[in-house]
Amino acid sequence: MSMWINRIDTHILPINFQYHAPKTLEEALKLLAEYGDEAKILSGGTDLLVKMKQRLIEPRHIISLRNLTELRGIREVEGGIHIGAATKLREIERSQIIAERLPLLHEAVKAIGSIQIRNMGTIGGNLCNASPAADSAVALMALGAELHAQSIEGERIIPIENFFKGPGATALKPVELLTAIRIPPPPENYGWAFRKIGRTSLDIATVNAAVLLTLRGGRIDLCRIALGAVAPTPVRAVRAEEHLRGREPTPELIQEASELVVEDISPITDVRGTAEYRVEASKALVRDALNLSIERAGGGGR
Amino acid sequence: MRQSFRFIGRSTPRMDGVAKVTGREIYASDIYLPDMLYARVLKSPYPHARVKHIDVSGAERLGAVVVTYRDVPDVVYCPRLVSTPEATYKDWRVLTGKPLYVGDPIAAVAAESEELAQRALEAIEVEFEVLEPSFDPLESMRPGKPLLHERIRYMGEEVEVENNIACTMEIEQGDVERGFEEADVVLEREYRTNRRYHCQLEPKTAVVRPEPGGGVTIWTTTQSIHNTRLLIHEIFGIPVGKINVVKTALGGAFGSSIQTNIVVPIAVALALKARKPVRLAYTREEDLHEHCAYQMIFRLKLGARRDGRLTAGSLEAILDIGAHQIQAYPLLGCLVGWWVSLYKLPNLRYVGKAVYTNKVPSCAMRGYGNPQITWAVESLMDELAEELGLDPLEFKLLNHVGLGDLFWGQGPTVKSIIKSSGVEELVRRGARLIGWDKRPKPGAQRGRYRRGIGFGRGFHTSSAGAPVPGTVVDYTGAMLKVNEDGTLDYVTAMMDCGGGTLTAHAKIIAEEIGVPLECVNIVRADTQTTLYDVCTHASRGVYAGGAAALQVAREVKRKLLELAARVLDAYPHALKIRPDEERGQGVIYVEGVEGREITIGELASMARHKNWGTIAAVASVRQGSCPPHFTAYFVEVEVDTETGKVRPIRVVAGADVGRVINPKLAEGQIHGGFAMGWSMALLEDTPYDPRSGDLLNKGFITDYKLPTARDLPPLEDFQVFFVETEEPTGPFGAKGLGEGALNPVAGAIANAIYNAIGVRFYELPITPDKILKALKGGERR
Amino acid sequence: MKIRFKLNGREIEAEVEPNTLLLNLLREHLHLTGAKYGCGIGECGACTVLLDGEPILSCLTLAVEVDGREITTIEGLARDGELHPLQRAFLEEGAVQCGFCTPGMILTAKALLDENPNPSEEEIREYLKGNLCRCTGYVNIVKAVKRAAEEMAR
Repeated sequence: MSMWINRIDTHILPINFQYHAPKTLEEALKLLAEYGDEAKILSGGTDLLVKMKQRLIEPRHIISLRNLTELRGIREVEGGIHIGAATKLREIERSQIIAERLPLLHEAVKAIGSIQIRNMGTIGGNLCNASPAADSAVALMALGAELHAQSIEGERIIPIENFFKGPGATALKPVELLTAIRIPPPPENYGWAFRKIGRTSLDIATVNAAVLLTLRGGRIDLCRIALGAVAPTPVRAVRAEEHLRGREPTPELIQEASELVVEDISPITDVRGTAEYRVEASKALVRDALNLSIERAGGGGR
Repeated sequence: MRQSFRFIGRSTPRMDGVAKVTGREIYASDIYLPDMLYARVLKSPYPHARVKHIDVSGAERLGAVVVTYRDVPDVVYCPRLVSTPEATYKDWRVLTGKPLYVGDPIAAVAAESEELAQRALEAIEVEFEVLEPSFDPLESMRPGKPLLHERIRYMGEEVEVENNIACTMEIEQGDVERGFEEADVVLEREYRTNRRYHCQLEPKTAVVRPEPGGGVTIWTTTQSIHNTRLLIHEIFGIPVGKINVVKTALGGAFGSSIQTNIVVPIAVALALKARKPVRLAYTREEDLHEHCAYQMIFRLKLGARRDGRLTAGSLEAILDIGAHQIQAYPLLGCLVGWWVSLYKLPNLRYVGKAVYTNKVPSCAMRGYGNPQITWAVESLMDELAEELGLDPLEFKLLNHVGLGDLFWGQGPTVKSIIKSSGVEELVRRGARLIGWDKRPKPGAQRGRYRRGIGFGRGFHTSSAGAPVPGTVVDYTGAMLKVNEDGTLDYVTAMMDCGGGTLTAHAKIIAEEIGVPLECVNIVRADTQTTLYDVCTHASRGVYAGGAAALQVAREVKRKLLELAARVLDAYPHALKIRPDEERGQGVIYVEGVEGREITIGELASMARHKNWGTIAAVASVRQGSCPPHFTAYFVEVEVDTETGKVRPIRVVAGADVGRVINPKLAEGQIHGGFAMGWSMALLEDTPYDPRSGDLLNKGFITDYKLPTARDLPPLEDFQVFFVETEEPTGPFGAKGLGEGALNPVAGAIANAIYNAIGVRFYELPITPDKILKALKGGERR
Repeated sequence: MKIRFKLNGREIEAEVEPNTLLLNLLREHLHLTGAKYGCGIGECGACTVLLDGEPILSCLTLAVEVDGREITTIEGLARDGELHPLQRAFLEEGAVQCGFCTPGMILTAKALLDENPNPSEEEIREYLKGNLCRCTGYVNIVKAVKRAAEEMAR
């Protein structure tokens, strides 16, 4: 590792691999079954190729999803909204269904990278890259999404809560492919908000937060708060959620809840921000997101 | 006055613009030659080490050509040739067996493809003896710390280095102690700047083709083709005439190619060994390990009387120069120059020290230390004004160095008298436009979002010209010849880093002679066909380069009129030239006598048929003065006290650049200067990981953020104005602009933040983290 | 591997390796050096080209993946020697300094105007944020895009 500096050449992709572009899902799953650990899925490439250029991974096989049209598209299905894992982020951003039914996801996806990145990158790629800071992940957590994984053995459904296992690590087995994201229909009259802080407008989040809540009789009913870049995986602020549930959203309550966020996060100091800063920013983002959500849910807001 | 100009003062598209918008412009990194090899560099993974053993056989087995530190000429050099030997310390070698920073080049390979070259690079085996590194200049200076360089070279001799101090400078004028005693208020503060990276869009590249007969042709990212040539001569002993450095477009530089970048001598060494063309293009990550701006620590003390007069100042500056000297000694001189040329200090003391650390070597970056010291001075003057109960504007105007004053911005050996200044109007007009009188009281606001207005002013030199020689080389050359159709070929070695320098030259020529601008053809030249030019730096392109263009234009015009006088049977001094857009060239005519005229093309053709010779001129020009251009920035910001984020609300920027040659491009310099200053104040830094000794971002710009289009103020809230003055020594009254456009920005922003939240920051960048911490601690000094 | 794709309106065929990047195919094999290497990891946008009309990063695109698709580079923007309104506007507004970001910037702006002929300033800034410029502070670039939009609307 000490000579790592000499292994980086971002002009090129200094790795030899076999390229596969299966025509069907079945074919893709067979390839995965055959190569497992030695294979990586190429969906948009915006994370995969960077990691390869940084020599963090050196797959011997690349399995491209480019021909798998069945993994793309957004549609309303029974039990919610279905998004193919290989759907481009731009397509989600442009989707009428998403804008109307899941504005929280719409906004989170818009916050990812640049136009170029979103033209290339896919929702499945954003999740499987398993960055603790992934913008789509916090939104999907707040929305209670389920992830569909397939292998030649069959399909299983993983609640997004259980999907992330650490930076770059997911619950997927090497032979499994993420095929779809299913988002349950959001409750009536819900409020939502997505908030992100980066060093610039084009940045990986220093902290991001997503909130989804409903009000019943002026009290907070359902409440989900998700935070990114403050733990090894995106996390739910469970203590804060509990504190809010069943209570009237006063400024004091919001303040208390935002303070409780620290119970569920474990931020580190890195080149993007200090741990102390992430704590303070998390509180501020959660406050903002809660206030906006309550307002959107028809509550009095601040 | 203004109306009498045809081209000067009007916005015209840059002359290389069509090539640039169609993707046809050729940069050094766009050069691919037949039979060319691709090169890669073996870099040190340790910040301080000695190579115990290197085995390149693996690389050679793959068919690569390899050079190591043992194969390059045993020459110790300085990659920057702008200063005279008296001001130049040498501590560089092409490749090294004793690396001094992570990324220091040890060996290099060349092979038929980049893939193969990379494989060969990875096949080299090196065993290191790891030495103790030092990342902090204050640490480095402690006696007993391991030395980066034991001996360096100066004026042909070896000199010993003590305590890692690369060089020092001390200057004292008047009686400082008495000056401080006379003061009613004395403030002393310590300031620390960030270690910024130029992040010019084009990473450093060299393509070298060996020529039959032992010469080389070089295409490279450089601000000076001639100094590149002279350095390659110095290192490799190739006769100067056999080295040809070809001009290409340059994808930004901001000072990072004043010196010859390390890719050039490495590529030359490989090409000579391989006897084939070699292309060495650095990756972004390598580029981030190649250069950065000077990081500085200032202890700054200023004293003033109740009436607002400064009585004394002292400045101790420690420069963290990284592993090598590029221009540390000249910088020590400029730094004091920038300092004393902002405000008049009747008594002053300066101690500057440049210190080696095991980090990427520092070099000039737009402003050459001026943005750093101006930030500190503008901050302290703001603070001092508050202590004195004065308006910072009035306090600064009262003390500023202006018209008729002695100016030595470029250091103690470059002194001249200021003959043009728009400072007062810049400040007054800017204050009106931003609404200075309505700005809030510092720290008086309570809500979450707090707004503040800050003011910073500054200057930079235009060239390093002076009435006496000094220790800086500053002259340029130009050639101009008339073609047979009335077009003109303009030949200069000067580079256009993007500012539109050469377009300005063309406008000066067109204006002076009286031809349509399109008639002036800027020749893509090289070192063999141009006169010497020192470098495109020090905001000298228009002022110094334009002066040479003007001189050859005058000479060509004189010759045109003399010849035309014969043909038209009139007196030369009674002839006029007008640009005839329809005929696409200049027409020489006798005023008041109809029909008595000849186009320049007809005249040049006649000169050919009658064997009168080519109508041409050549000049090598030295400016005898170094006039400052002035800028003033008023910036309004909004601080989110819960996230610590700072947002730009409004910018008013004024500049006195003498006569404005090309308004839109000049405004562009201000826009770009503000953007760079914004991120200098708030964003940019290259911190190190003390464990690995490498940059924390490892060279990836994922973690070297620049502002995007989204992060800067909207069009209607960014106002630029010029206060036109007439600089008597400048071409058509023009001065420079490139660096003054940046210098006061960070100071203005820091003052705006103070105005908003009542907290001062003494360390750059002012990150959200620092802001929250300060607000939480209620820190207010 | 053999690939076929449309490049600036012309069908072409190329022989590539699985790890060949689109940027290097364009620059080194097809001699179109308008797209630039600025960072190699998708941060700067200098390598932007249009894939089926949408801006993408050619430094993070495998050449094999453009098989059967359509690529437009800056060299393909001017038609019959006539500059695209964006190219003219960049010239007129002084939106070009060193020019290294310009090809990518203009292509991204083209995609914006194709999709949204009358963008607000904020929309322009948001759309262009993936193209870094170190020279201009983006001011004249934003002006140029507005101007081109106005001209194209006429």
